[in-house]
Amino acid sequence: MHISEGVLSAPVLITGAVLAAAGVAVGLKKMDSDKIPQVAVLSSAFFVASLIHVPIGPSSVHLILNGINGLLLGWLCFPSILVALALQAILFQFGGITVLGVNTVNMALPGVICYYLFSRLVNRERGLISLAAAFTCGFLSVFFSGILVALSLLFTEQSFMSVAQLIIVAHLPIMIIEGIITLFCVAFLHRVKPELLGGIYGKGS
Amino acid sequence: MEKAHNFTIYLLILLFASILIISTNLPVLAHKVIIFAWVEGDTVFTESKFSGGREATGAQVLVFDKERTQLLEGKTDSKGEFSFKIPKLTDLRIVLNAAMGHKAEWRISESEIQKAGGILEKKRAGGSSQPIAVGLSKEEIKELIEESLDRKLRPIVRIMTESQSKGPSITEIVGGIGYIFGLMGVAIYFKNRGKKREVNRDN
Repeated sequence: MHISEGVLSAPVLITGAVLAAAGVAVGLKKMDSDKIPQVAVLSSAFFVASLIHVPIGPSSVHLILNGINGLLLGWLCFPSILVALALQAILFQFGGITVLGVNTVNMALPGVICYYLFSRLVNRERGLISLAAAFTCGFLSVFFSGILVALSLLFTEQSFMSVAQLIIVAHLPIMIIEGIITLFCVAFLHRVKPELLGGIYGKGS
Repeated sequence: MEKAHNFTIYLLILLFASILIISTNLPVLAHKVIIFAWVEGDTVFTESKFSGGREATGAQVLVFDKERTQLLEGKTDSKGEFSFKIPKLTDLRIVLNAAMGHKAEWRISESEIQKAGGILEKKRAGGSSQPIAVGLSKEEIKELIEESLDRKLRPIVRIMTESQSKGPSITEIVGGIGYIFGLMGVAIYFKNRGKKREVNRDN
């Protein structure tokens, strides 16, 4: 889902950079020093996840883990994902430095949306509802990312619908896998460390 | 105590994930495409791959000249290959447009085409099919050597492109994780310094 260097036009790049900067600013403001390790670990997970490829479909797709990032970090997933993407761009040549802003928004915004949609359900409820919410969170975060990538390509490629369809279809296996991963993470955390699911900010664990 | 515990759990999850990646020996592939092109006679051959080895099939290939006007376009076949006759003697810019915002390009310079084309033309003129006379001129020997070198080196060039398309190594992966933790240290340092200052002011 990383958009390569030189695909997008300047206005799209600038919009992406501005939005990403805003998101990162919000994230940094909400980041207490005791949350930093949590952000770092999830950032590392995101960084590594892109190396796990699923060889299904016409393109090559990989894990993203923006769902679990968003669910556990809320707005803090903006700095987390920005750092991971920057390192992916430098070390792996995924994406690129100029598209960093756009890519960050594409991955982190769905995480934040999913945080607001699902963190309550995941936290408050027990058992099946919580797990179902976790699965949907992982699934939808990739789905939203696909939509955002298609939106970013809107001014480059001819039709939004065909691009969106292509991306969504190619990432369908990833959506399901991410759903399952998120589900297992939540199940594990419920058992071992339920406080972590209590929302990243405001509560001060 | 509590915080340390949180952190340990996260670290364990990460460690588990890393071990999973390394031990299952999943093909560590990079998420980018590359296109590689070379000239043989009057034809340009291209090969497109997602680095790591998966071919980019059915991807759009555009060919531009020096002035960035499009000369031709085509699609890669099931092996990710696409070839075309050189439309015009100029610097060629070959751009691969795999779907979903993946893009790569390769340049072929005019001199490269000239070199490859020149040999062919002379061959057509009937140089090499004739029985070789006793005295070969310097030029002819040079041509013959270049021609056979081209042929012999082709597999090596292929191997080189393949090695170029290898995914990130363990060093880079571990290095990246190290960077993130280094940044974490810096962030904690600055946050704590801010806090200390506040405490000092309160006192």
